[in-house]
Amino acid sequence: MHISNYRRRVEAVFLLFIIFLIFCSARLLFIQLFRSNYLSGIAQKQHNLFIELEPRRGTIYDARLKPQAVNMSADSLYACPNEIPDKDKEALINKIAPILNLDRAYLKDRLYRKKSFIWLARKINPQQSQAIRILKLKGLGFIKESKRSYPNGYLASHIFGFAGLDNKGLDGLEFYYDSYLKGQPGWALFLRDARQKRLDLWEKTVLPKDGYDLVLTIDEVIQYIAERELDKALKSFNAKAASIVVMNPHTGAILALANRPTFDLNESASATTKQLRNQAICDLFEPGSVFKIVALSAALEEQKVSEEDKFFCENGAYRVATHLLHDHRPHGWLTFREVIEQSSNIGTAKVAQLLGINTVYKYIKLFGFGVKLGIDLPGETAGITREPRLWSKVSIATIPIGHEVGVTTLQLASAISVVANGGELMKPYLVSEIRDKYEQTIKVFAPVLIRRVISGETAARVRKVLTGVVENGTGKSAKVSGFGSGGKTGTAQKLEPNGTYSHSKFIASFIGFAPAQEPAIVIAVCFDEPRPYYFGGVVAAPVFKNVAKDTLSYLKAMQPLNAKLLELNEANRNN
Amino acid sequence: MRLSRFLALTFFITSFSLLYVWQQTEIFRLAYIDQSNFTTFQDLLDKNTVLRYNMGKNTSLVRIASRLDESLAFQMPQGYHLVRLTGAKDNPKLAKQAPQRESLAFRLFGIKRQAEAKTINP
Repeated sequence: MHISNYRRRVEAVFLLFIIFLIFCSARLLFIQLFRSNYLSGIAQKQHNLFIELEPRRGTIYDARLKPQAVNMSADSLYACPNEIPDKDKEALINKIAPILNLDRAYLKDRLYRKKSFIWLARKINPQQSQAIRILKLKGLGFIKESKRSYPNGYLASHIFGFAGLDNKGLDGLEFYYDSYLKGQPGWALFLRDARQKRLDLWEKTVLPKDGYDLVLTIDEVIQYIAERELDKALKSFNAKAASIVVMNPHTGAILALANRPTFDLNESASATTKQLRNQAICDLFEPGSVFKIVALSAALEEQKVSEEDKFFCENGAYRVATHLLHDHRPHGWLTFREVIEQSSNIGTAKVAQLLGINTVYKYIKLFGFGVKLGIDLPGETAGITREPRLWSKVSIATIPIGHEVGVTTLQLASAISVVANGGELMKPYLVSEIRDKYEQTIKVFAPVLIRRVISGETAARVRKVLTGVVENGTGKSAKVSGFGSGGKTGTAQKLEPNGTYSHSKFIASFIGFAPAQEPAIVIAVCFDEPRPYYFGGVVAAPVFKNVAKDTLSYLKAMQPLNAKLLELNEANRNN
Repeated sequence: MRLSRFLALTFFITSFSLLYVWQQTEIFRLAYIDQSNFTTFQDLLDKNTVLRYNMGKNTSLVRIASRLDESLAFQMPQGYHLVRLTGAKDNPKLAKQAPQRESLAFRLFGIKRQAEAKTINP
C-alpha cells in the first residue's frame, strides 16, 4: 500500500513534469516559428547601435596650398528634458544661458518639452563647451560634430561661400562643388554593453568616403592686396559698393575677386543679403567709357580706321537723332588714338557710325558680353545686350560708349583679357584641381579657350592705344612705375528710378593690364556711387595701380620659388 | 572508469566554458581600453587641428593687418601727411633768404636755424 502510493505520487509528479515539458516545448516552438523575427529585432536593438559615420568635408586650398576652409571638431550640446526634474530646470537655465549667450525664453521653451533628446546649441566654441563641462549638469550631454571654419574670416568670402550646420554647401564654391566636397557617409553597427553604452566593436561597417579637396587659382596674398586697396578706396570715396577682379589673361584663372560690402565667413548667419551678394558676377551696370575698347578693337580689326585717322569732335556737343551727345571736355580734331586717350564720346560714336550697327553688335558678342562666361560660381548673370533690330536711332552712338548695355565686372575683366593675351577670350575659372585626401589628383581644370575675338596684331595695337590712355590720357593715376600699364577709365551715370540719367550718382570704373609689355595680370575695378569724386580715373585707377604694383612685385618675388617647386614636382614624377 | 571519464569530460567542458567567458571578457576589456585610447587620440587630433587652424589664422595677412591696426594705431601716411625737409643748398630761393633771417642774437648765441618744413598739397 505504502509502495503503491509512493509510485502513484512519483508518476503524478513525472506526468506533471512531462506536461510542463510539453508546454515549454510548444511555447518554444511557437516563439521560434512565429515570434523569432520580432524578438531577435528587439535583442539586436538592445545589443547593437546603428550609427551613421560622418565623412570629412574636403578642404579648400588657395593656389599656394594654404588652407582656406577647414573642418574643426566642435561640441554640440543636447539635453534630455525627461531626465531633468522640473524644479531643477530653472537653475539649469540660469547657469547655461550666460555661457551660451542664448535667450532664457528659448532655453525654457526647449527644456520644458516632454522629450528624451533635444538640441540646445550646435557646434559651440571650445571655451563654452569647457565652461559647461565644469558645471557637471545632469541631463546635459555633448556630441562631437565637425564644423566648417575659415581662418581668414572675410577674405574671399564671396568666392568660398559657406556651409550650413549640416555641412551642406550653401553659397559660393562650397555650394558649386558640394558634390565633390561633401563625400559619402558610412555607417557602423556597434555593440552595446550592459549599460547601453557604445563599445568600439562593430558588427558590420561601411566606412565613410571623405570629400575631395579643392585647389583654387586664387592666391591668398593677391586676394589680400585687392581687398586691402578696395577697402581703402571705399573709405576714401564713401562708395556704396565696390568690386574687383584680378585675372591671369592667358589662362582665365581668377587670382582675386572681391566685393564690398562683405561678411565674415565664420559669422555668415548674421550677414545681410546685400553683404552676401557676389556683385562682381551677379550685378550688372552700364559700364560707360570702359566699353569703348569694343569699338576700338572692332575698328582696328575691321581695318575701317587706323590710330592716326582724325575725327572732328564737334567741340563737345553732337546731335545724333534726337539725342545730344556730350564730351566731358570739348575737343576739336583728334586722332583715333587721342579719341580713346581723352575718352571722347563723340569721337567714339563717329567711329561706331563708320563701323555700322551689325559690326558693333558682332564684336560686343565676340567679347563675351550678353552671355554667361561659365565661371564656376553660382548666380552668374549674362548681362544685357539687345539685338540690332531692337536698337533705336541713338543706339549706334550710345552703345559703343557703354550705355544701353548691362555688364558685370567679371565680363569687363574677361574683355580686357582678350586685349592683354593677344585676342583670345578665355573661360574664367576658380578651381584648378580636385584631389583626394592622399593628395592624388582626381580632376584637373585646364584653361578653356572660348573663341578668338581679334588677331594678335590688332590686340597689340589696342594695347598700345590703351597704354597711351595711362601715359597721356584719362588714366594717368593708373601708371604702374617700373612695370608700365595700359587700360581704360569709365564714368557712367546711373539710371534714376524714373528712367532718366542721374547727375549725382555714378559708377566709376577702370579696366587695365600690366606690365604694358607682355601683360601678366588684368584688373577690373568698379565703384558704385563714390563721393565727392566720381571719375574712374580718380577713384578706380589708383586702386588698379596699387593692386597691380603690389601683385606684380609679389609674382616677381615668387618666380624663383615657383621654378624650384616645378623642379621638385618633376623630380617626384620621375621617381 | 566511467566516473573518471565523466569527471574528465566535465573538467574539459568547464575549462572550455571558462576559457570562452574569459576570452569574451578580455575582448570587452580591450575594447574599453581601445575606446579610451581612441578618445585620447581623437582629442589630440582635434587639438592638433585647432593648433594648425590658429597658426594659419594668426599668420594670415588679414590677422596681421588687423592686429597692427588695433595695437599700434598705425596709419599708413597719405601724400598730404608727408613733410618734405628742404635744405638751403637744395633750394636757391631759401639760400638767398637764409642770411637775412639769421639775426645777431642767433649768431651770438650760436643758435642755428632748424631744417625748414613744408607740407605738400595742404
